[in-house]
Amino acid sequence: MADSLPAGARLFLPPYMLERIASAGSNHLRECARHTLVVDQQFRARAGAVILPQGSVKRGEPARYVHSAEQQQALPGRLVRGEGEDDSGDPAVDEAYHGLGATYRLFWEVYERHSIDDEGMVLLATVHYGRDYENAFWDGQQMVFGDGDGELFNRFTIALDILAHELTHGVIQHEAALAYVGQSGALNESLCDVFGSLVRQHQLEQSVDEADWLIGKGLFTERVAGRALRSMARPGTAYDDPLLGRDPQPDHMDAFVVTEADSGGVHINSGIPNRAFHLTAMALGGHAWERAGRIWYDTLVDQRLGQDSDFPTFATLTLDNAERRYGAVSQEATAVREGWRRVGVLP
Amino acid sequence: MSQPPPLTPASVVRLRREGGVAHFPGLSRPRCIHCARYSEAQRDELWRLLSSAESGAGLEEAPGADRRRFCLSVEDTNGTSLWLLTVAEEAVPQELFEWWRQAETQAENGSAP
Ligand SMILES: [Zn+2]
Repeated sequence: MADSLPAGARLFLPPYMLERIASAGSNHLRECARHTLVVDQQFRARAGAVILPQGSVKRGEPARYVHSAEQQQALPGRLVRGEGEDDSGDPAVDEAYHGLGATYRLFWEVYERHSIDDEGMVLLATVHYGRDYENAFWDGQQMVFGDGDGELFNRFTIALDILAHELTHGVIQHEAALAYVGQSGALNESLCDVFGSLVRQHQLEQSVDEADWLIGKGLFTERVAGRALRSMARPGTAYDDPLLGRDPQPDHMDAFVVTEADSGGVHINSGIPNRAFHLTAMALGGHAWERAGRIWYDTLVDQRLGQDSDFPTFATLTLDNAERRYGAVSQEATAVREGWRRVGVLP
Repeated sequence: MSQPPPLTPASVVRLRREGGVAHFPGLSRPRCIHCARYSEAQRDELWRLLSSAESGAGLEEAPGADRRRFCLSVEDTNGTSLWLLTVAEEAVPQELFEWWRQAETQAENGSAP
């Protein structure tokens, strides 16, 4: 309810919003203004910077805003559920709201990170984007989810790890800003899968043995011959379907794919670092978010991680972070070194 | 960037959608439109749509991640590329998207319209 909105959310109305409230009579617009949100149907694909609503001023509490594009492609669309409000009854809206909460919780409770920018940035999501739209993406400021076509894909909010994957793109943008091409792009993708999977494991309180290490389970309809979009444990085995084709992910540098498609294979070669993380986590046992996840998080926020980092650079940094935090001859450092060695990234 | 070349019966238009939260080899294969199978009016319409995608294309890559793009090209019968454009899916007119969908159906049925 409105009373539990983060304090800042209603205190600082930007001037343009005050103008709108003054000039507009509709309840709908007043409602939008109450949440200090920009609702501008003219922005079909936002090119420039848009002023975001006030985030959360209280560390430990998220500021979530879930919109509906109502099958259009305007962002952010109509506000349906703000922070602290009750279930809307719309499954996509409520899944997004709870998924953002679960993601905020992992980053806050385990890594003490206060939202995307560690400064309480608003968690903005739009669902029902487009018609039969079978994708989810991060637009540089917010998350966007389609309903799927119903033929091959269900709605994209169904998979908590995909929600968390998109939010993690925001985190990376505010940290190393790994260039979205080639190996740095594949690292960007892999980090989103890693934290996507960790959010789901954390939510389900799973140990490394209990987790399925799949990304996007539940997204495919029953017509698809496949389990998920990707498998971190066994890259290249997630699906093999007449229409979708076969999961193209390699699980070792020997099978690294050189291609111009997919921004130089960012969703393809991410299988290699994904498996390195999985091997590390399995070697350490217990909860993957505790030690393996901590080492990867330390590396994600490491100032030495440059925009154009390649696999060996990233691997070396994870090893260095493992040694710094746990010791040079620790079980953790050994697990990390062995993980990268087994996928052919470190000797 | 430049406008697409005029489409003649000898032209082949390739439409490929790629990117997104996962790479699906089956969905990102190029789909071909053999202009010989279409009337002059249809070719003019297709040219207008390609041209419209060209004018909607931004100079810079859209920010963010997991976005989809369309790769559009015009080739002659020998497969020589005459024109190439990669554009964010938001810049692709709905009608051109329909051509892309249609091209898939043709490939499945293996028959010309
Ligand atoms: Zn991604």
